[in-house]
Amino acid sequence: MPVGLQSALNPDAMGFENLHQFFVQASENWAQRFAQEHAPFLAHLPAPLGELAIMLACCVIFVAVVPLLPLGLVLAERKVSAHIQDRVGPMRVGPHGILQTLADGVKLIFKEDHIPREGDKFLFVVSPYIIFACSFAVFAAIPFGQSILVSNLNIGIFYIMAISSVVVMGVIMAGWASNSKWSLLGAMRSAAQLVSYEIPIGLGILTVVMLVQTLNMQDIVKGQDGIANWIVFRTPFTFIAFFVFFISAIAEVNRTPFDLPEAESELVAGFHTEYSGMRFALFFIAEYANMFAVSAIAATLFLGGWHGIVPAEMLPQGGILGFVLRAITLGGLIGVVIKTLLLVFVMMWLRWTLPRLRVDQLMNLCWKYFIPISFFNILGVGIWGLIFPTDTLLSIVISVIVIILGLIFTFGVLGKSLSKGPSNSAERRISATT
Amino acid sequence: MRHYLSNIYLGVYTALVGMRITFKQLLKPSVTHQYPYDRPFEQKKNVRDIPKGYRGKLHNRIEDCIGCKKCEMICPVDCITITTQKLPKGERLWDSMNVVHLKDRTEIIGNIEGDEKPAPNTTVTINTQDNGAVTVSSEEIANVVERKPVIFYLDQFDIDMSLCMYCGLCTEVCPTECLIMFDNLGDGIEYSTFDRTDLIYEFAKPEMYEKPGDESMEAEAAD
Repeated sequence: MPVGLQSALNPDAMGFENLHQFFVQASENWAQRFAQEHAPFLAHLPAPLGELAIMLACCVIFVAVVPLLPLGLVLAERKVSAHIQDRVGPMRVGPHGILQTLADGVKLIFKEDHIPREGDKFLFVVSPYIIFACSFAVFAAIPFGQSILVSNLNIGIFYIMAISSVVVMGVIMAGWASNSKWSLLGAMRSAAQLVSYEIPIGLGILTVVMLVQTLNMQDIVKGQDGIANWIVFRTPFTFIAFFVFFISAIAEVNRTPFDLPEAESELVAGFHTEYSGMRFALFFIAEYANMFAVSAIAATLFLGGWHGIVPAEMLPQGGILGFVLRAITLGGLIGVVIKTLLLVFVMMWLRWTLPRLRVDQLMNLCWKYFIPISFFNILGVGIWGLIFPTDTLLSIVISVIVIILGLIFTFGVLGKSLSKGPSNSAERRISATT
Repeated sequence: MRHYLSNIYLGVYTALVGMRITFKQLLKPSVTHQYPYDRPFEQKKNVRDIPKGYRGKLHNRIEDCIGCKKCEMICPVDCITITTQKLPKGERLWDSMNVVHLKDRTEIIGNIEGDEKPAPNTTVTINTQDNGAVTVSSEEIANVVERKPVIFYLDQFDIDMSLCMYCGLCTEVCPTECLIMFDNLGDGIEYSTFDRTDLIYEFAKPEMYEKPGDESMEAEAAD
């Protein structure tokens, strides 16, 4: 068994056996280094207490920074949608409406906090916080730089999978507690959708994990120095897996064309129909935070994370020049953010391009297309691993050639015959239902 | 299997086609005019003039109004209120005159000397109200309307634009074509107010007439 996978599956190394070891896992994190340099008094505290203080400091920074993302993303979404529809979007509050989301937030805080009389009050109150907390907990394991992450878990990607699945529970709680048909229907749809799309996401992650032999997010990134080492291009199968993962991720965060749980034209607003005021804002923030988190995960797993297009050793180290060059070549903190925002933009772009899928189409897409394709990818990556046990220049060159030839073949040659569609009406009827 | 692959291909291909279209739209400049701040009719920036015959705000050229109350009668929502006083028998505010509409949208009130339908390429002299005379070429004349003699005083001619349904019937029945709907951007559209009572437009100018004494008779609507 490869060393990385072995350590990942070793229960002693999982870090949950006692609290102290859990905090030791954070030995690489930046806040601790910062504290060691600038706040040496922490060293005089008993070891677990000092580490606890550092962890709390990390959390405070992330909890302070991350809610600002939805603030910008909501505005970006409105601006992108507006310009796609030849409108201008919010323009009144601040120059070009940049303070619009802030104004909306203030408005939502002052709104009546209404709880349905016949609903389950406890679940109704708790569920927004569960969704909010789980969406934000995902950020704990996403590396935004060599030392910029809250917790360097050795099972990072597994933790992300686990914590983001808890969102389903919050959604169902919200739908049930509202005691409304719309909410319950939305919650049921959401549960079905999230559970289904966890599978292609999990399988997509598995293809990456098979290739890099580790579950640690930092280690996944560390192998991707330079665009040739990015996991998308490393094998043709991970190239397909990236798209499957990304589309499944869109479904996972309930965005158009997979927004059945909150389909405005069908279910009013889905599971958060009965919510108002700050609780509604929490759902809203969680949705956009989720969007960002999922894009950041895709960028980390497939697009090199904080490694840029150019390998790090070819760039000047340190100084402003090094920093700028790193940012331009999509490396470092700024590089991750740019990649993530690009993926977020693609999500928005898709949202304003495609209409919503039907429930059966949604399930068909997942179970009949994504899951078989994912299994094919896993098989392919396994065989690839047997042929090329380690990544060499040869394997990467072959992979890129296969990807390019595959694209040319699919869109140039195969497409012409495939786009003709079924020849007779009976076949057309069959294909319409599948 | 072929359908399966075909579905995958078509799914990807059609999504890409759609995304190409939306991306083109994204780069296009937006067509929004941010109305109260950015007034298209003031800037005249890539904005067409509204079409001729647009039904905008009603306006009465009270000098030409003869108080016939046809508009009040035909109005489906009763937004026009007219009260008149009849002149003593035999009196006229003015005699029958011509209103000459010129092609450059100006109008001259007066009597045309000679034939009312002048021959082409001749000069026409119009004796105006204040005993002047204007000479125009017959090519410039758009049309000639008869200005009927007035036998009513208009005490009140109110139009409540908040009730108006913009059917335009009143302008059609008006015999002197003095009741019109503005079809230009500024006057015809922009007349919103903060107070609903400001939408009641009073066109009557009682000071226009030299009022006779008590011998004037109340006019009835049946007249």
